[in-house]
Amino acid sequence: MTRALSPSRFAPLLTSLAAIAAALVLGGIFLALRGKDPLAAYGVLVSRGLGTSYGITETLIRMAPLLIVSAGLLVSLRSGVWNIGIDGQLLVGALLAGVAGAAIAGQVPNPVMWLIAALAGMAGGLLWALVPGILRVRWGLNEIITTLMMNYVALNVTSWLVKGPVKDPDVVPPQTRLISREMRLPDVAGTGVHVGLLVGLVVVVLVTILFRHTVIGFMLDVVGRNRQAAIHAGMPVNRLTLVALLASGAMAGLAGANDILGVKGLFQGNWNPGYGFAAFALVYLARLNSLWLIPFAYFLSFLVIGGEMMARPLGIPTYFVEMLEGLMLLCFAVAAWVERMRSPYARAEEVETGPANAGEPPGPLISEPLLEPVARVAGGPS
Amino acid sequence: MAQALGQPNSPVVEMRDITKRFGPVLANDRVSLDLWPGEIHAVLGENGAGKTTLMNVLAGMYQPDSGTIRIAGEPVRLDSPAAALRRGIGAVYQHFTLVPNLSILENVALGAEGGFVLDLAPAEAKVASMLADFGLDVSPRTEIRHLALGQRQRVEIIKVLLRGGRVLLLDEPTSVLTPGEVQSLLDLLRRLRDQGVAVVLITHKLGEALAVSDRVTILRAGRNAGDLGPDVMSGADRESVRARIIAQMFGSSPAAETDDSSMDHLPSVIPTPPRVIPTKEESRRPSRRRPEEPRFLADARHDRGAPAAARDEPTSETLLSLRNISTLGDRGAPALHDLSLDLLRGEVFGIAGVDGNGQKELGEVIAGQRPVTSGRVLLEGADITNRGVAAATRLGIGYVTDDRLHEGSVAESSVADNVALKSIGRKPFSNGFWLNRRAMEQQARRLIAEFDVKTPGPHTPIGMLSGGNIQKLLLARELALEPKVLVCNKPTTGLDLRTTQFVIRSLREQANAGNVVVLIASELDELIEISDRIGVMYSGQLVAVMPRAEADPETLGHLMLGGARRPRKASA
Repeated sequence: MTRALSPSRFAPLLTSLAAIAAALVLGGIFLALRGKDPLAAYGVLVSRGLGTSYGITETLIRMAPLLIVSAGLLVSLRSGVWNIGIDGQLLVGALLAGVAGAAIAGQVPNPVMWLIAALAGMAGGLLWALVPGILRVRWGLNEIITTLMMNYVALNVTSWLVKGPVKDPDVVPPQTRLISREMRLPDVAGTGVHVGLLVGLVVVVLVTILFRHTVIGFMLDVVGRNRQAAIHAGMPVNRLTLVALLASGAMAGLAGANDILGVKGLFQGNWNPGYGFAAFALVYLARLNSLWLIPFAYFLSFLVIGGEMMARPLGIPTYFVEMLEGLMLLCFAVAAWVERMRSPYARAEEVETGPANAGEPPGPLISEPLLEPVARVAGGPS
Repeated sequence: MAQALGQPNSPVVEMRDITKRFGPVLANDRVSLDLWPGEIHAVLGENGAGKTTLMNVLAGMYQPDSGTIRIAGEPVRLDSPAAALRRGIGAVYQHFTLVPNLSILENVALGAEGGFVLDLAPAEAKVASMLADFGLDVSPRTEIRHLALGQRQRVEIIKVLLRGGRVLLLDEPTSVLTPGEVQSLLDLLRRLRDQGVAVVLITHKLGEALAVSDRVTILRAGRNAGDLGPDVMSGADRESVRARIIAQMFGSSPAAETDDSSMDHLPSVIPTPPRVIPTKEESRRPSRRRPEEPRFLADARHDRGAPAAARDEPTSETLLSLRNISTLGDRGAPALHDLSLDLLRGEVFGIAGVDGNGQKELGEVIAGQRPVTSGRVLLEGADITNRGVAAATRLGIGYVTDDRLHEGSVAESSVADNVALKSIGRKPFSNGFWLNRRAMEQQARRLIAEFDVKTPGPHTPIGMLSGGNIQKLLLARELALEPKVLVCNKPTTGLDLRTTQFVIRSLREQANAGNVVVLIASELDELIEISDRIGVMYSGQLVAVMPRAEADPETLGHLMLGGARRPRKASA
């Protein structure tokens, strides 16, 4: 297997690592400007986050939802669908999981309850992705806008539900009925990490298999890379688009269920973990490669947990870690641009389109988003 | 025609020795063009002759590599469309640049000179009067998206004129219009000319150019190939002017200053491909192939006795029938109009036409990639209308697109993935759910060997391959599916001689095996060499179908430009 050893396979990782390094340097500059010693701060981050069993346990617990969410986001992004609505789908899924779980907890064996709650969570996320999915497929509405807006709807709908219809009547704060600790997901033997992490790893592996070994994964990749080629090849482009969006919504819902069943035990109004943004950083750093999600998810979780642990002794706000994530995405965008400029594709394309359109090169003409639906309709009945 | 020669004695625009290169392609090679106020100046040429590039240079979109532009005698540098517009030069493109959900007024005001604050009130009256003047019965407050394409085009023109444009560049303005709209556009252009505007009309359509132009410049393969002044345009009779223009567009020498009106005396017509450097073109193109045809062709004829051509009635040998097909193009304008065609077993049916006359759409309709708005597609008598690509592929229809990189293949995906692209859901590449990567790889290796594709291996991203090798793979992919009907759109564009020969031989063999090949091509020699019958498309219709024996480049070129069929039996 010379292929596995060829440098090009891991070359994309260098871009990500460079972006992370650049973000850490920039973050260090910010720290220095605030009068903190960056080296000391990063030292604490590493020693607490990686050097203590508490830090490692918390990191692994945090990893579970990130893995699930980002695996789902990866499915949609590889299919060329921008699901910005992860957070809303997760909230709806979490609420449904919390309600369903609490409703049957104690009346059925725990594994059955977990399964049902997880399915409820997935159904919730899927439902929330269904609306933008239909709008996109039927009328060509841009899913970036609709999924984003559905986040706000989710935030308010869940908060209303938890204040009224599904509120636990026995307590004052707006929350669903508590699933007691002994009914939540058990720990992996010998650790303090609940089995949600295993679910996350399984989901990542399943997504990997999806893209490597199944027809539908192959088609999703084609749609994501070149929609026109997918139409040309007779693939059911609209259906695939919908599937990608629904799958990522369902996975976001599953991640919500994971947090309810593994950590929280109930859904509280105003709870919004905001994994969506981290998931974007994660999927891009992993270069849309599902297995690479695992180390990067660990790294980002470590940053968050280590950041929290570093915050108190050093007086650095926890927002600092969010800023680091943002910087990583920015640096990644720059690094990816540099990479693309140096890529052989760019050249290949230039040479290729040259002669074909000789004398009348691809015009300076403005692309026509208005006509896109027309082209889409004309393009292919699925 | 109105002489309209009351011009001042100096041109408003002088372009001298404009050269513009795109990578290996020399799009404009020392091209010169003068524009006079109060004239309609048609710029004619084949696809790739460099018309649009020249216009983009004048419109400030591109910077020429060398050459000078003078406006009213003064040398200028037009480094942006805004700069060009400040000098009074405005362009209207095939793809309109209006914002659909802004009003006419806002679009016209958008980007106009002036401060940061947009004050629409003063412009409104002016826009309203121009709209009325231009025969548009709409309010300036109407949003662009409510307008038809022809109306939008007028708004574009108004936009240019209101910003002080005195030179109006129109790139294929009639390609999106209905015949009625074309007439009124041409009337409008005449009026603008009479008001002293210099109108540049870039077009493929000779009829329109002849109808309105005071002056014609012909480009060929990036160079000036002819220039007919007002004396010629208004004087000589239509038919001889037309003959001269065709000769200059397609002919081997731009000489032929004869007044002979007979088409038969035209110089031999050899379309020249865009000059790619380094070039082997000279050796590549045999002049008129006729007497000794390639062996495989001779064999083919012999095998089948009489050529399958010259049959007008559908017979039992009809494999695919198109009945009264109409469809829309990508931009929603009609692309095919009531087109009927029967394709016979064992024939290569060649389709000639200037780009944009519906050939691509015809190919897509056959391939199931473009739904028809009316009409039927019958494969061996079974109705397959609007069944989609997947069904068409399954039933034995293959399609090699002309857009190798953006439609035919997924550049980042491996050769093996691309080879399996069209039949991924079937054996051997999958069982419908699980992929069989090994079968994909084997098939890729087989096709690479069989078609002599230069690639490091089946796992190389296809985008890394050269155009010719991608083309071979796309053809191989279709042929491997053993299609009964194979549509190829410009399969030999940009290929070297050996690959071209290979592609042509493959297509011929495909037909010899009793299948149908539909070959859309712009190189007439090639088309005549390989086809049994040739159809000419113009404005979404098959204007003529003829057996190969009756086809020659002059006749085809004449028909491609919208000329009437000369008295032979018309078919289709």
